Amino acid sequence: MSFAIARTIDEALAGLAAGARPIAGGTDLVVGARHGKAPLPDDLVAIDRLDELKTVTRTALGVSIGALVSHHDIETHPLLTSIYAGLADGSALVGSPSTRHVGTLGGNIMNGSPAMDTGAPLAVMGAEVELRSLRGTRRVPVEQLWVGPGRTCAAPDELCVAVHIPAPPARAGSAYVRLEYRRAMEIAVVGAAAVVTLADDGAVATLAVALTAVAPIILSVTGLDALVGLGVSGAAAAVGEMAATQATPISDVRASDRYRRHTVGVMARRAVEAAARRAGGETIAIPVNRAIGIGAPS
Amino acid sequence: MTDTPIHAIHLTVNGIDYPVAVAQGRNLLSVIRTEIGLTGTKEGCDDCECGACMVLLDGQPVNSCSYLAVQAQGRAITTVEGLADGDALSLLQRNLLDEGGVQCGFCTPGMLLSATALLQRNDSPSEEEVRIGLSGNLCRCTGYTKIVAAVQRTAVEIRAAARQA
Amino acid sequence: MTITDPSRPAPRFVRADGPDKVTGSGRYTADLTLTGMLAAKFKYADATHARIVTLDVSAAKAMPGVFAVLTQDDVPDVKFGPFVQDRTLFARDVVRFEGEIIAAVAAVDAATAQRAVDAIVVEYEALPVVNDIEGALSADSPLVHTEWAGYGGVDVLVRDRNDASFASIAKGDVDEGMAAADHVVRSRYVADGCHAVPIEPRAVVAQWEGNKVTIWTSTQVPFDARAGVCETLELPNSRVRIIVPHLGGGFGGKCGFHYEAHVAALARAAKRPVRLVFSRREEFVAPDRRREGIVYDFETGVKADGTITARRVWLALDNGAYTADAGFFSQLAAMHALGPYRIPNALAEAHLVYTNHQPSGSVRAPTAPQTCWALESHTDEVAAAIGMDPVAFRKLNAVDSGAEGPSGQTYGEIGVQQCIDAATAAAGYGQVLPDDEAIGVAIGWWPSFSVPSGAYVKIDGDGSGQIITGAQECGTGAVMTLRQLAADELGMPAERFELVYQDTSVAPYDMGATGSQTLFNNGRAVVAAAGQIAEQLRNLAAEQLEASPADIVLADGMASVAGSPDRGISIDELAGIAAGGELLIGHGSGIPPGAPATVGSSCVGDLGMSAWVAPQFSCHAVRVKVDRDTGVARVLHVSAAHDSGTIINPIGAQGQVEGAVLMGIGQALTEGTTYDDQGRQRNAALLEYKLQTCADAPPIDVHFIQINTPDAGPRGAKGLAEAPNVATAAAIANAIAKILGTPVRQLPMTAERVWEQLQGDQGARS
Repeated sequence: MSFAIARTIDEALAGLAAGARPIAGGTDLVVGARHGKAPLPDDLVAIDRLDELKTVTRTALGVSIGALVSHHDIETHPLLTSIYAGLADGSALVGSPSTRHVGTLGGNIMNGSPAMDTGAPLAVMGAEVELRSLRGTRRVPVEQLWVGPGRTCAAPDELCVAVHIPAPPARAGSAYVRLEYRRAMEIAVVGAAAVVTLADDGAVATLAVALTAVAPIILSVTGLDALVGLGVSGAAAAVGEMAATQATPISDVRASDRYRRHTVGVMARRAVEAAARRAGGETIAIPVNRAIGIGAPS
Repeated sequence: MTDTPIHAIHLTVNGIDYPVAVAQGRNLLSVIRTEIGLTGTKEGCDDCECGACMVLLDGQPVNSCSYLAVQAQGRAITTVEGLADGDALSLLQRNLLDEGGVQCGFCTPGMLLSATALLQRNDSPSEEEVRIGLSGNLCRCTGYTKIVAAVQRTAVEIRAAARQA
Repeated sequence: MTITDPSRPAPRFVRADGPDKVTGSGRYTADLTLTGMLAAKFKYADATHARIVTLDVSAAKAMPGVFAVLTQDDVPDVKFGPFVQDRTLFARDVVRFEGEIIAAVAAVDAATAQRAVDAIVVEYEALPVVNDIEGALSADSPLVHTEWAGYGGVDVLVRDRNDASFASIAKGDVDEGMAAADHVVRSRYVADGCHAVPIEPRAVVAQWEGNKVTIWTSTQVPFDARAGVCETLELPNSRVRIIVPHLGGGFGGKCGFHYEAHVAALARAAKRPVRLVFSRREEFVAPDRRREGIVYDFETGVKADGTITARRVWLALDNGAYTADAGFFSQLAAMHALGPYRIPNALAEAHLVYTNHQPSGSVRAPTAPQTCWALESHTDEVAAAIGMDPVAFRKLNAVDSGAEGPSGQTYGEIGVQQCIDAATAAAGYGQVLPDDEAIGVAIGWWPSFSVPSGAYVKIDGDGSGQIITGAQECGTGAVMTLRQLAADELGMPAERFELVYQDTSVAPYDMGATGSQTLFNNGRAVVAAAGQIAEQLRNLAAEQLEASPADIVLADGMASVAGSPDRGISIDELAGIAAGGELLIGHGSGIPPGAPATVGSSCVGDLGMSAWVAPQFSCHAVRVKVDRDTGVARVLHVSAAHDSGTIINPIGAQGQVEGAVLMGIGQALTEGTTYDDQGRQRNAALLEYKLQTCADAPPIDVHFIQINTPDAGPRGAKGLAEAPNVATAAAIANAIAKILGTPVRQLPMTAERVWEQLQGDQGARS
């Protein structure tokens, strides 16, 4: 057993190559170990001091978010809360204020839970994950990253160093909405993210929707091209039905499959509606969950 | 399990340097409560759901039940014992008592730390911001009303003090 | 320690234990460490109903670092239970719920103890699981206790097979009453069980010195805990001392006798101090204190003018595997099911039913919130049947001063009608709201418990006072308020009194932080004890001032002659004089008020719950919004009006109501235990068993109706800790029913259940 604090990315990669697991905030890892889901890995390399992985950089193509950028950073970052609002919606809903300070974007997506709140927004935004090892660097679209509940295609020696999100086109907006039984401290029962681009006439020009916690991995809704040209409300209603149809939810202590199937449709519709409002130039506060509907402050 | 390495590390708690020897899997909470000997930080669950174990790590709120002690090396750890200035309670501690925001007191240390962190990053939070800021700290006694009032009153008083200074 | 500075106004009421709690210096049980202390862990049954075929602890005993491994073979063969003696410290032959203890280990640390627990070998032969409350009452149900008939128990309990306690309250002729009605409304409701969830998980530390044991424990009821240790370990009171450090909440969950004997037995066997600290999961599954699930069938007859003619209720409570303190719940639930209404013909029948679930027990106002939820939902259905506004219906039928209640008790001065007026006015009942919002209204009640209680008060030579009380502070502030009572009696500031409490070897008996009884009973004791000192002070002052003792007034720290304010002497000075002669020591208990009479009713299984001393009343009016697409309900505003008599500590009293209301919101919407097909809890964790967060808590208006209650506690105070937990879920239910057009018949009214109800309703309409 060993524990090392990496001072550089290369030190971290060397640790991974030697069989250690990375730990950043440790929220998933330590809680999981205490609950007996999986024992704490014998060999750990702490990556939480790699400051070069904590930056948000605007690039020619979009934005690069370091893997160690925290949910709190995302939910308060001026660029991310405006142009990539759907991601900020997701980060702002993660756990508690402390979880959002400690928890990182890299940790969230590499944990691979189908209930992760940043997964669906990243999927609809066409994000890519940058995986690095001593062997080299590769980029993987997030939708190919997740291969099952808690499983990714990353090799054990690969470290997620950044997430790259392409710049959205003009008149685009995004949103992430989830079903929650309380206004805080929730885990997604179901959720949905949408990116909507509007044509000059207000009709839907492009549309992407992904769903949380209704399949073994984040599920991208297919067949949305057929909705291009529809008005927002028509497209949103259709997306709701398609989401409910394509979802393959389970029944568990949080909800029945039947209820999940219904509510993921509702969430998908609301995500499209909110994304379209943002695409139209409207500012909806982060997270959209608390700004609209039942979660709104009284 | 038996060959778990013991790491000799230093933890800085409330400004004091403590050399401690801890096993790799030990969480920060248990080290603070045993080796460091400060029991104000409480354990109410074991999965970041109650907030009783909240400490500040470099000023940010952290659930110490789910944070490895070895990871806290070199960071400034603040516990509830570090909030008062000698015998003088902090404004927030005083207001929490004065507003009636303390009943059984078990959530109180964590609540104070979350509120301290909140006020450090935002000295004029709205009621909604206070409520979200404290949402990771469960209280079963108070219904939160008087806790929220104490935080809001503290914000007002901090701003007034800043204007005078 | 500085709490105030001169530039600020004096605090309204700062708790004596407040500075300990905000600085982290206050010690709770789990914070205690003794030299050589070991850690305790329990081996739990996991199986919910099975015969133990093999129990082998040899491997555990042989492990290095393990000092003691105990089973039932190692402790006296004593069956215990306050109502039915149906339980032993450890299961010996049969396990009956998942959290039953089979063995206990003490080892050098918690990890070693857990490894030893894991090394204990248990083999079972499965027995049929009783997982359904109503099914357990059927003639062909398997029995949870095949030897039930041989168990000792309280004589008046009516027991039969899985029915551990049957109770009925009957008045008039229900059949005639129904026949006289214009409408008869029948409703069925089902309430799931739920939990107290104090944020402090329970902890026990035990240490033997010679043949005496000191036990520090997170109990609400130290004297009860001592009695349990003495009974199960066959020790006299004189050898057991219970001390309660700061207690991190209880809400009834820490009532009764819990694990003190297990830890004491471990410490004796290990010859070391031993500490037990529960995990959150253990806190959910093991204690015999869980709010009981209940199934209800209501039938109410009503005339077209709104008058109730008759009510018949049948209900069955989930006792769980052992009876704990739930023996009186059947009668208590029967009273709550009849409700604070004028009902000429009433029959309530209640069964307390054994199942293979965790045992039920006192959780904040046991049986009341869920029964109020069911009754008050039914009441709105009754009002709707005759087209009457539900608030007007309640005003018409609720009891009032001088009126006779459903069990034949005639009430003195009570404030239920005023509560209805205050809560509905504050909520703006009747205002036009969006169609996804509504205001629901419910009324509730709760007894004050009249029991013996004692306290000492002394004033030292420097004029500082001490209150030495058996009363237990669990966070409510009731013990803190005792300072005010003593101070007022003696004309001294409350801050001059120190509290010495929660030690069974120091203070006289008190029942503990249970039944909202602390101020009601111990307050009387403190006033009596302080009164003795007041008399001493008046006599001393009379000598010093050459006046008659009857003319001495104690106020503002002075003893003065009435009418001559310049003739006075400070109490501090008198205390100094007394220190050289007859010391200032008072003791008090006072006579508890007797039980009120009932006329014209008959009760089976009567445990004294059909007539209530100084009953407390409440009305909650709650504004709720429902998301029709998802069924998620959110409480926007609560108005809570309470008749709990005189309010002595206003800020503490408000805090009780605010906290209880939020607990009620949780019970209404998100807090409910679900079981798998073997009777194991599926949501024994805080992520899946959802308490309300700060972000969920609505504004709560609190109104106190302070009237002159007969037979109340000191200065006309009644209890308050439980009463505000009674009506919240019911009021929320009525708001949801108004929005949906139909009630949700299962508690908690989760988003999915609300949505299912909407689906069913739409189906019925189309």
